[in-house]
Amino acid sequence: MDRNSIKDTGILEQYLLGELSEDQQIEVENILREDAELRAYFNKIENDFESMAFENAITPPSHIKNNIFDTIQNQSVTQPDSIQVKNQRSTYLAIAASLAVLFMIGSGWLYTQWQQSKNDMQLVQNETNDLKERIIVLEQNLNKTNGWYQAINNPNTLKLVLNGNQVSPASSAITYVNHKEKTILLNPQGLATLDSEHTYQMWADVEGEMIDMGVISAGQEMIAMKYIDHAESINITIEPAGGNDHPTVERLIANVLL
Amino acid sequence: MQDDLELIKRLQNQDNMALSLIYDKYSAALYGIILRICKNEAKAQDILQETFIKIWQKSNSYNSEKGKFFTWSYRIAKNLALNSMRSPSKLIQNEDLSVYKDKDQEESEIDLLQLSGSLKQLEPHHQKALELVYFNGLTHREAHEEMDVPLGTFKSYIKQALKKLREVYQKELFILWVIIEMMI
Repeated sequence: MDRNSIKDTGILEQYLLGELSEDQQIEVENILREDAELRAYFNKIENDFESMAFENAITPPSHIKNNIFDTIQNQSVTQPDSIQVKNQRSTYLAIAASLAVLFMIGSGWLYTQWQQSKNDMQLVQNETNDLKERIIVLEQNLNKTNGWYQAINNPNTLKLVLNGNQVSPASSAITYVNHKEKTILLNPQGLATLDSEHTYQMWADVEGEMIDMGVISAGQEMIAMKYIDHAESINITIEPAGGNDHPTVERLIANVLL
Repeated sequence: MQDDLELIKRLQNQDNMALSLIYDKYSAALYGIILRICKNEAKAQDILQETFIKIWQKSNSYNSEKGKFFTWSYRIAKNLALNSMRSPSKLIQNEDLSVYKDKDQEESEIDLLQLSGSLKQLEPHHQKALELVYFNGLTHREAHEEMDVPLGTFKSYIKQALKKLREVYQKELFILWVIIEMMI
């Protein structure tokens, strides 16, 4: 198509008026870009149409302009705003959710820690009780031993060894006699072990009469016996379990003179 | 009538002030076209509003190498106006009982819509041809049927009309120049 025929077809006018299809439009735009003279001609038509529009202008009501600016303002302000609000909301939600998760994890951790501490406490408590009991036992032992030690170490105490006779040659017992304080202690550990139906018993000989000093219960380290005034000798016999009123002289195993 | 490319650039950068100036410059010319297409003031005002919002939103798609800013704006306004005329809901609205009132309004509007300026100095058929395609938004094809002349003839009407119009403008410019010269 040459320049004049393009002018004649009226296609430029139709292009200006927006009547062309997209393909035709692009074609015209290409022609105008390449052909300066046609471009100038088109520019003239544009000016003509524009002048005509201005000559026939009708002033619109003034509120239209305000409406347009309100709409634009709302679009540019509220849209990002609502997005921001949404974003903020989702951010808050995310923060809340993370906090909740942290709380849950924290609570779980604290709970296990608490349980562990409780168990540890229980263990410590048990151990403490155990220790306390042991201390009590030790204290008792210490007191007892201390008492014995005091008694044994007393300058007024006599140490007497009772050696077994032919009835029980392996036996021996040690007595600590304090006449001043009137105490007698016995260490029966050297005595031979008896069956459960028999027990050792200690007797004091006062002017030919045997007076009971007490039953020697088995498995003791040291036993306090009854002190008998004016005793001449101390004797140990084997008696039926629970002790006897009179000594079984045939079963005398040891004696010592005071 | 040269375009202020600086102003258009500012519009493309979403400068409110630029839109305000462009509105002041073009709104009346565009409103004249919109009102002549839809012949209803309320509707035309809505479309004018839509047109400028679209100009604002689509300003970046305007390319000054392809044509003048007014041509681009004119196409937007015309398309929006024609679309509103085609929209079925608007057609139903026109069929309500207040048809007599509308008629009165339309008649008074038609007075207002009488074309003026240099166009008046053209021969009636040239005037009519330009009015149909430019102010009423008809396509060449629709307009030549409306005028009941062959398409080729119609096209030459447009061409001749524009040529005459240009001569009138030039004459007016000459007179204006003479007046200015005389005043000086």
